[in-house]
Amino acid sequence: MAHRKKNRNVGIIGIGQTKYSSHREDVNQPEMLHEAVREALDDAGITMKDVDCIVHGNMELFEMVHQPDLWHVLGTGGYGKDCIRITTGGTVGATIACASDNLAASGMYDIVMAIGFEKLQEGHTTGGITNMADPLWFRNLQTGALTGSKAYDLINEFGDERAKRASMTYRIIMDKHAGLNEKAHRHFGLDFAQTDDLIKNSPKLVGDLKLIEMCSQSDGACAVIFACEKKAKELSKKPVWVRDHITVHKEETFNIFGYHKDYPIKQTHRFAADHLYKRNGIKNPLEYFDVFEMYDPASWWAVDWLRDFFQLEGDEHIKLVEDKEIMIGGKMPINPSGGVIGSNPIGATALVRIAEAALQVRGDAGTHQIPTPVNHAIASGFGGTMWTVLTILEKELNW
Amino acid sequence: MAKYWGIAVDDIFNTMKDRFRPEGAKDVTASFGYDISGAGKWKVTVNNGTLVAVEKTEALSGCEATMVCDGETFVGVNSGKVDATNAFMSGKVRVDGDMGVFGKTGKMFRKFVPPKKEMSVKDYLLDMFGTVESRFKAAASEGIDAVFAFDLGGEHGGKWSVTIKDKVCKVKTAIEGKPTITLEFSDAKDYVEMSLGRIDAQSLLAAGRAAAVGDINMAMKWAELFEKYQDPLGGAPEQELLVLKKTISVDQKFSTGPIIGRFLNGLKEKKIIPNKCPKCGRLQFPAREVCAECRVRADEFVEVGPKGQVRYMEYVYYSSPDPLTGATRETPYGMAMILLDGCKGNDTLAHLIRRDQIDRIKGGRDDVSGTRVRPVWNETRVGSIFDIKYFEIDE
Repeated sequence: MAHRKKNRNVGIIGIGQTKYSSHREDVNQPEMLHEAVREALDDAGITMKDVDCIVHGNMELFEMVHQPDLWHVLGTGGYGKDCIRITTGGTVGATIACASDNLAASGMYDIVMAIGFEKLQEGHTTGGITNMADPLWFRNLQTGALTGSKAYDLINEFGDERAKRASMTYRIIMDKHAGLNEKAHRHFGLDFAQTDDLIKNSPKLVGDLKLIEMCSQSDGACAVIFACEKKAKELSKKPVWVRDHITVHKEETFNIFGYHKDYPIKQTHRFAADHLYKRNGIKNPLEYFDVFEMYDPASWWAVDWLRDFFQLEGDEHIKLVEDKEIMIGGKMPINPSGGVIGSNPIGATALVRIAEAALQVRGDAGTHQIPTPVNHAIASGFGGTMWTVLTILEKELNW
Repeated sequence: MAKYWGIAVDDIFNTMKDRFRPEGAKDVTASFGYDISGAGKWKVTVNNGTLVAVEKTEALSGCEATMVCDGETFVGVNSGKVDATNAFMSGKVRVDGDMGVFGKTGKMFRKFVPPKKEMSVKDYLLDMFGTVESRFKAAASEGIDAVFAFDLGGEHGGKWSVTIKDKVCKVKTAIEGKPTITLEFSDAKDYVEMSLGRIDAQSLLAAGRAAAVGDINMAMKWAELFEKYQDPLGGAPEQELLVLKKTISVDQKFSTGPIIGRFLNGLKEKKIIPNKCPKCGRLQFPAREVCAECRVRADEFVEVGPKGQVRYMEYVYYSSPDPLTGATRETPYGMAMILLDGCKGNDTLAHLIRRDQIDRIKGGRDDVSGTRVRPVWNETRVGSIFDIKYFEIDE
């Protein structure tokens, strides 16, 4: 796979997010997007006159609006601009960031604004996700993004008690992080003392995947402004540089983890991490990165994916969780924002990972800022039946 | 905006529609003017027992009678803080025009009651259960015979039951009869917050702060059977904030193409015929045009099964709606990845397991076999996934 160096560097210069909530009946879609757009423009200290191109994205079919980018011109300020609409499923938020980066890096546009949104209460999320599957077969069997297969795998590998406690510990840490982020949708005030109680009592969705372990369904929007190096340096005191990103897709398949050690299935997260780190000369990602904003649709998956994203072996990833090294203040803080389990406006979700990682690099994450300096951050996107987007952000242009 | 006793002049006019009493306005056809110094001018028009309009206007014209006073007096008279007769006698209120006609306004509107500043959990619970019978939609309850029990814990908690039978709804402050569904909240405050739309039920269930015991489908019917609870403190959205509901139903049809078409046609003959990648050798269920991994056409079809073993089964508790029909699947159900005889590795077929057998299914791993299963074929087969009803244990 040919992959060349960027034509020119690109920095993030503006970030805007709405509050995430399941109750945004007070605004329509364009109004909701506008809140994020307004905040991003103010953050960058620019106006729509400065924006050359808009990349707009969400999940198709969730709200049953087929050209939302037309209607949303009211809120995006897209009138008379180059507007590109992208939809790639759960990864869409990360894909619009990649596209914006590529568009600015190419030299075609100096300033590009990525806007991701979802108003999940206006449609049916699980129905929408189920519609991604082959209508002739899997659609008749599938239950949206709900699967107990990762829980089943982890229980097989690490035993019932250890696996369940790791998943619930991760969940409680995310809840504690969400409590620090005023924009987060869900925060229950969970405590580690409740671990066993929650394992026992939270209603089950599929297999050992419990309701509390699954991500929320949120309304909200996120806007991120990308600028070429020259503009970024002119306009911003602390641009966050987009070093590289990788996208890995595979076919639609619901046999995602495999059942036989002799027949491994390609795991896109591991594949993406291996390729991305290699071409950037990153030998030990756990040492290199200071924070990771992960697209964590459920706590079981999150625990497992730490192993793939950080190229760990054996039970190293379980230990990171058990030792609470993934908390703010730990060795590798995961999702100081509360993550996807805390807030999940799906079309914005993967962009929020990048936005939150960039806020950490800038030191502007406020009450959920991690206490140690953040020079290198990573953000992931997830969608489809195991599709991955992985993005590296840097504080300095010294790589 | 100036407020008197916490009430603005606008509050009085904005609530006129709600406070209007048609029985007090019989045979009244007139326009009334209000000239409130410092606040503005309003025109209120009544036509034979109907309130036609309440409009703020720049200039009053065509009014039978006009009340002229200051904001404090106006609010005071309307909210009962100031005696109307005294205000009139002392000259704080003047009426221009037909005084007799204006007198009729006294009976046309209910007194303005300022909304309470706060309601306790207990106040809310009393109001919520106190209004259940009046919010009941009898027409939607055809054929329903059910008891909804509420077991609310915490300081202000209590027990209630709502019985629906023969299109009549009764509320009792105890759990009586055999509940069809019992809703348990560890803290009554959560129930109040949920009813006010501040927390969603799913979050409470997820956090273990609420539970539904019994017929869950009946619990879902609550919203159809009762009008939504309105917060007396005016928490309801303002008039212009509407939520419009739509249900979309679309007939769809999908072309199979020749490859998956051959696979589906095989089902008609009770044959399962995946196609094989000439390069990596994997079998595809259903058959697909190419092997996406090797990027080659997969032309060879191979008959396998029909018996096999379960490698993994999703034990599904959540009642996902079928996106094709909108129907809710019965839960729990089992969706299994089945390794048919003649297949290897991950070449599995996805299908359902007979519902009464899902607790007995064991998954296989590596060289250990899972539960053996066989397909149960439909009598009529049309070339669809449901030509196989489900797989059942092969005993």
